[in-house]
Amino acid sequence: MTSLTPSQMETGTSLAIIAASTEPLLFLTGDLTILAASASFCRVFQIDPPKAPGRRLSEIGSGEWGMPKLTSLLKATAAGSAEIEAYEIDLDRKGQERRHLVVNARKLDVADSNNVRLLVAIADVTAARAEAKLKDELVREKTVLLQEVQHRVANSLQIIASVLLQSARRVQSEEARGHLTDAHQRVMSIAAVQHHLALSGSQDVALRSYLSQLCESLSASMISDPTVLAIVVDVDASVVDANKSVSLGLIVTELVINALKHAFPAHRHGKIVVAYRCRGPEWSLSVKDDGVGMSTGYPQAKAGLGTGIVEALARHLQARIDVADSSPGTAITISDEGVAATRAAAV
Amino acid sequence: MMLPPKIVILLVEDHPLVRACMAEALLEAGFDALDTGNATEAIAMLDIRPDIKLVFADADLPGTMDGLKLAHCIRERWPPVKLILVSGRTNVPDETLPPGARFFSKPYHDAVIVQEMNCMLRRA
Repeated sequence: MTSLTPSQMETGTSLAIIAASTEPLLFLTGDLTILAASASFCRVFQIDPPKAPGRRLSEIGSGEWGMPKLTSLLKATAAGSAEIEAYEIDLDRKGQERRHLVVNARKLDVADSNNVRLLVAIADVTAARAEAKLKDELVREKTVLLQEVQHRVANSLQIIASVLLQSARRVQSEEARGHLTDAHQRVMSIAAVQHHLALSGSQDVALRSYLSQLCESLSASMISDPTVLAIVVDVDASVVDANKSVSLGLIVTELVINALKHAFPAHRHGKIVVAYRCRGPEWSLSVKDDGVGMSTGYPQAKAGLGTGIVEALARHLQARIDVADSSPGTAITISDEGVAATRAAAV
Repeated sequence: MMLPPKIVILLVEDHPLVRACMAEALLEAGFDALDTGNATEAIAMLDIRPDIKLVFADADLPGTMDGLKLAHCIRERWPPVKLILVSGRTNVPDETLPPGARFFSKPYHDAVIVQEMNCMLRRA
């Protein structure tokens, strides 16, 4: 009774493993004769399974595997002078679409050094590559579309701002003009949030930068002599979401406009300080002026709370308003004590 | 005593409402304002008015030449003319602007622009 030698058994096992591989695999000799081709290789590349073993790689199919570059690389691998790792090559067959392949090949360490053995793994990445390219194109398209929307919004806001200012110039009454220019300032404060969002690329706004820009605009349009009045911004490094920054910006606009209108009569010199601090869920925004103060004819209603805008926004932010005499001047603080305050109230 | 002549500024903006508003802001600020809605006319005006000291242009103008190209053309042909460009787009990198040109994104505050013009033209 004859039995297989250990060497024959090992070879048999290896060939079985190759045949069963789900990834297309080829087992070649040093002169590129096929010893075994996995069933998956034959299926993916439409090679008749019994026709593969014993034939040269360049002979199977319609000879499409005889690509010179692949042949020379495999020969170099067989000679031990190279190892093919993730080598990309195109497979062209007559009457068929080009396929993109990724080839990995190694020379195997075998007991018999006279018999060179190569293990070649071939992955067909055509579909994966097409998908990746499509995804990239879609992402690019989406970015362009977003930029176009942003562009249109900015242009529209410019038109709105222009219309308000032109209307302000046309009206007869000083009061109406005041309302329109205030409306213009409010639109600009919201528009500035849009701009900062577009810059940051996220839904959050860096408050210091936003409120500084806002106060610069207010100063440029309402302070005729910067040596007489100044607006100082003292904001920490807080970053807040878009909705909150719109509300904070509108509150600051309202309070600063009113301080400029009422706190410094008769060319009184002074300073308005816009401050913001945040610690955990607690935050506070304050607008303080060193002007004439409330007791000398600057009543609460004129402290920026007359329009109801600040109250409505404070309610929206679930914050409280505190008006204090800061002698000199007035200090208005909008603050949120955070969750603790809400819990305490509920108890 | 004669008043000093008003500084002449050329405004290039195609939207009529935005253009009218900016033109009035310039007049209120004490400038002499010329305005047009496209780059070709802007160049024609620069050809006949050597007293234009500053050009304020929208980067996106209709026709064959946009505001950015116009700005580069002005920098080349009339180097001393100051330039301010505005755009609704946020992706206008500094490298694409001609040297010395200032950029503001839309919507810009007219008072901020006038302040910048005063600064660039070194007025009190």
